[in-house]
Amino acid sequence: MTDTDLSTRDLIIDSATRIFSDGCDHGVVEAAQDGVWPATLWNTLVENGLLEIGLAESGTGHGELFEFLRVSGRFAAPLPLLDCLLAQVALGKTAPATALAELQQHAGQAESIELPWPEHFEAAVVLDVAAGKARVVSLAGLEPVAVDAMLGEPVARIELGDAWDKAAASEFAAPDLYALAALGRAAQMCGGLEASLNMAISYCSEREQFGRAISKFQAIQHQLAVLAAEVAASQRATDAAIHSVEVSAAAGAQLRTSDVAVAKVRVGAAVGVGAEIAHQVHGAMGFTMEYSLHQLTRRLWSWRDQFGTESDWATFIGAEVCAGSADDLWAYIAQHG
Amino acid sequence: MSSSQTQNQPLQFQQIGLPAETEELRAQVRDFLRSEYPTARRRNSDFTSGHDPEFSQALGQQGWIGMTWPKAYGGHERTFFERYVVTEELLAAGAPVSAHWIADRQSGPLLLRFGSAAQREKYVPAIARGESYFSIGMSEPNSGSDLASVRTTATEVQGGWVINGTKLWSTDAHRNHYMVALVRTEAPAENRHAGLSQFVIDLHKDGVEVRPIRNMTGNEDFNEVVFTDYFVSADDMVGEPGNGWAQVTSELGYERSGPERFLSAFRILVELVRSLQSQASAEQHARLGGLVAQLITLRRMSISVAGMLQRGDSPNVEAALVKELGNNYEKLVPEVARLVLPMQHRSPQLQAALQDTLLLSPSFTLRGGTREILRGVIARGLGLR
Repeated sequence: MTDTDLSTRDLIIDSATRIFSDGCDHGVVEAAQDGVWPATLWNTLVENGLLEIGLAESGTGHGELFEFLRVSGRFAAPLPLLDCLLAQVALGKTAPATALAELQQHAGQAESIELPWPEHFEAAVVLDVAAGKARVVSLAGLEPVAVDAMLGEPVARIELGDAWDKAAASEFAAPDLYALAALGRAAQMCGGLEASLNMAISYCSEREQFGRAISKFQAIQHQLAVLAAEVAASQRATDAAIHSVEVSAAAGAQLRTSDVAVAKVRVGAAVGVGAEIAHQVHGAMGFTMEYSLHQLTRRLWSWRDQFGTESDWATFIGAEVCAGSADDLWAYIAQHG
Repeated sequence: MSSSQTQNQPLQFQQIGLPAETEELRAQVRDFLRSEYPTARRRNSDFTSGHDPEFSQALGQQGWIGMTWPKAYGGHERTFFERYVVTEELLAAGAPVSAHWIADRQSGPLLLRFGSAAQREKYVPAIARGESYFSIGMSEPNSGSDLASVRTTATEVQGGWVINGTKLWSTDAHRNHYMVALVRTEAPAENRHAGLSQFVIDLHKDGVEVRPIRNMTGNEDFNEVVFTDYFVSADDMVGEPGNGWAQVTSELGYERSGPERFLSAFRILVELVRSLQSQASAEQHARLGGLVAQLITLRRMSISVAGMLQRGDSPNVEAALVKELGNNYEKLVPEVARLVLPMQHRSPQLQAALQDTLLLSPSFTLRGGTREILRGVIARGLGLR
């Protein structure tokens, strides 16, 4: 990694943090929950070039893309950022009205996808994970049906019907795209967990009961310590996966899927433990619509199921391990430094 | 949202990998274990489970004890990353490392940092040769997690000190040569951490009685060590009088962050893979894969701490985080593994590893600082205390 890469990344993190700090406050996220597209925030991101991150012509790569997504997760940004940015990576060009989506195949039903902010999109790069394929599907003429989703953004189910059969294959390797999407969600969850920890620490340091800040009680301290440990593990797993993806991209080598799998498994597991603790230490305040914690946790709980659950990715790791000999297990672990 | 998204994170685990040069060393350790000690493997990878002086001396001859220490004291001036590779390879292979473990991990570094020139010359080269073994003398019958409350006293006399009191849970004190004991050299004052000092104790001199205590696995590893008018020369005090607390806490980064804090159940994973191998279901793969993902992440965190030690930092909070997560993981592995394979499908080796690990598991979250103490350390790092 060169110094130039480092400074580009720091600039993007700083710039994104500033834009979200200014334009992604509680009210904007709350309005999005009622279906109001955060146009100002979106336009600011576009004007600052942040919706071209990850495209070669923007001078940025996977590292910047995932760090940007991590920042967006910290602010519970109610925008389809991963969806857009990774569709663009797959297409290799700017395509703000194209989303990345996972193909859903329920028994006895037509192929469908679920999309946040469906009115925003004209096309989708649809991943058929089971078949290891991706296709670019035009959404023109297709009918979105609103879904009751906990995400906190409008979500619709779209039956693809013939459009799926007619769609052209994407040139980008579907398994890699799936892994990148999983890492994107891991990065966003990592950011959301970091913000949850900070919010919990702030709240417990201010909230007084029995005549003192509740952060002075050992029972609270220990819960926050467990939350912090989950955040630390999430950060380490995410950083390692981002690093791995960057290194393989720089070398023109095959992406090492297992590093991404480790991140999605570990961060997803941290969400279960971490969100529970963040809410518990907030008491009833954290259970209100008025307080911001739910804006993070509803996203954490949504993202951990998207682009592969912990179980899906753990299966990948377990199968890879069992394909080798038991006496090579340690070598497998040691290769993932 | 509030300003909470822009606060500085209190946690500092850097993305850092082991340098590529360490791979050659890793291969050397593997070759050594395979050719010299093919039967040395234990039924688990616990660092307290195999006391084998012959093995420790062979490691010393390879230059794999005291690796980061100055050559002037028998060390090898290698990096913490190289030391990391050796320790993790030994544990993963289930090698019998307990004889030299404490001396290599913390007594040697303590003496090099705080000890006198004479102490360094007397003790450190023998440790590096794998010939001199140390125990920890911290806990007492009435002082466990509350270490500052120790009551063992050292009273100054002509030419030295006289020690009276009892140390407890000192692993391998009945087999080792020395103990570094934390004792009171001044009466307790308002500052509880003042008036404590450390001494090197020769465990084979008059006035010290070592009584092994059987633990619930049936082994005699830890001990009660009773001092009755035990005379220790003034030259055997480590560091300045009254500096004991600062010295003890300086060992924590070494003590709490290493691979021994999450590899104690590793043998179960190996035997689980052997039993599953080609006929595993997706769900079995998922359970196994989840454990492997956690292990890979713990190791990465632990390597980050090795990087901090290499830079000369004191990563006490990060070490506590590794130990907290690592010990919980060591306890989780048998819980998951037993449900992945029912009794009738377990190999004898897997069943043995499960049993050994479960029986040892209560100690994981006790030794080297209890879960409760570690969470307190982490909370302090978060600014809550």
